[in-house]
Amino acid sequence: MSPEQPPGPRARPSYDLEIQHLKDRAAAMGEWSLGMVHDGWIAFEASDLEAAQKVLDRGAGLDGLDDDMEHAAIAFMVLRQPTAVDLRTAAALLKSTTHLDRIGRLGFDMARITTPGSGEDSADLRRLLEQMDTIVEGMVRQSIDAMSHDRVDLARQLFRQDDQVDSMHREANRKILEQLGRAPAKSQRLANDLLVARHFERIADNACKVGEKTIYAITGQRRSEYLPRHSVVPYVLETRPKSGTGGR
Amino acid sequence: MIGGTAKLKTDRLTAYYGANPAIKDISLEFPERKVTAIIGPSGCGKSTFIRCLNRMHETQPKTKVEGKVLLDGEDIYTEDPVRVRRRIGMVFQKPNPFVTMSIYNNVSVALRFNGHHPRDYVDAAVIRSLKQAALWDEVKDRVDHPATSLSGGQQQRLCIARALAAQPEVLLMDEPCSALDPLATAKIEELIGQLKQDYTVVIVTHNLQQAARVADFTAFFYLGGLVEFGPTETLFERPREKLTESYITGRFG
Repeated sequence: MSPEQPPGPRARPSYDLEIQHLKDRAAAMGEWSLGMVHDGWIAFEASDLEAAQKVLDRGAGLDGLDDDMEHAAIAFMVLRQPTAVDLRTAAALLKSTTHLDRIGRLGFDMARITTPGSGEDSADLRRLLEQMDTIVEGMVRQSIDAMSHDRVDLARQLFRQDDQVDSMHREANRKILEQLGRAPAKSQRLANDLLVARHFERIADNACKVGEKTIYAITGQRRSEYLPRHSVVPYVLETRPKSGTGGR
Repeated sequence: MIGGTAKLKTDRLTAYYGANPAIKDISLEFPERKVTAIIGPSGCGKSTFIRCLNRMHETQPKTKVEGKVLLDGEDIYTEDPVRVRRRIGMVFQKPNPFVTMSIYNNVSVALRFNGHHPRDYVDAAVIRSLKQAALWDEVKDRVDHPATSLSGGQQQRLCIARALAAQPEVLLMDEPCSALDPLATAKIEELIGQLKQDYTVVIVTHNLQQAARVADFTAFFYLGGLVEFGPTETLFERPREKLTESYITGRFG
């Protein structure tokens, strides 16, 4: 028996095309969500209610993309009955779109808590939140690219970036609590900052989940097989920040 | 052993048609009271292999078998072939009831080959077998009707009942649903799920989805060789071998 894989195309070339269409749909949804995060943050940061409203108006579009993707992925599984890498890809895309939907929702939520009156944040807090935005938007972009182009390497890089975002989230919390004590009059804005920092942390987590699903689709490996979960303790009991462990 | 005790086992099994080996050096273990599916493209040796498991291969001219087939550790090729086929029953691709016989006689004939039994014993065995084959409720009022009065799916279940009447330990099924419609196929698949409570089942199928539905374990054959064997869920979700993946994803076949 030949140990080599026999050459030749798939018996049904249209099958590959359908998988590509599923990936394209998921990527389009990812772009939509990324746009909501980007514009949601801009609106929040600038206290721009008009811009915030435009983000909120895109929520229905996100719902529509999510529904379309779910329909397409289920139809593919029913009609094609995929196996192996094809099955994993369809399942991973279906789950990834749930995470992409959540990412878009978090952009929506940032727009939702936008209030008039800019410039209330301290410079260092604003800089920290801007840095978080830059990193998490990059992570979302990277997760979409990994998913669209079968890039395990890009997906794996997300976990270390997630640790960085976790660390920044804790730093933001610390700064906000300090400022709340010093300037209670700014409590509304600072409470919203707390939420935004949390939203960035969640966006990073969801980008990582997209990365996990991509790795599963391509390699068949589940997260526990390449990234053992360490024990997690309450923040106050942590003695030093963990790195590269993806301990969500 | 991958899934508990092995009821049936092949050890470096090679089977020839003339000088040409149709399967080569197959070592495989069939877990007891589990369903094992054998899949692979046409000509890969699936049917030849399954026919070696109860010495049906040697009934064809110019054939030869090397290696061992062990049933509970004993080599079936050192035993009486008739006794072997009683212990390892077989169901074929197309339903093959005895067309001149009634439903009842199609089942009881298996007992008649195994010696004389009192009528009560035969009656009980026929009813038991028809029930096990999930056919009793459909034929209990007409067991004296010709077997040919049954639909294709019912005829196949009758053949399963006939195989079960001899009280085998292993049931071999060579594409048992390939001539049946989806509803009849669903009934047979359901039946296979029930049969594994009492029997070790080996099924050859071209239908990958059927293997995924009914089998606890799956073996993939290619060009007469065993490429991969493992739990069905793993083989269809995360096959170890590229060749398996290429086949089950439709890249060749």
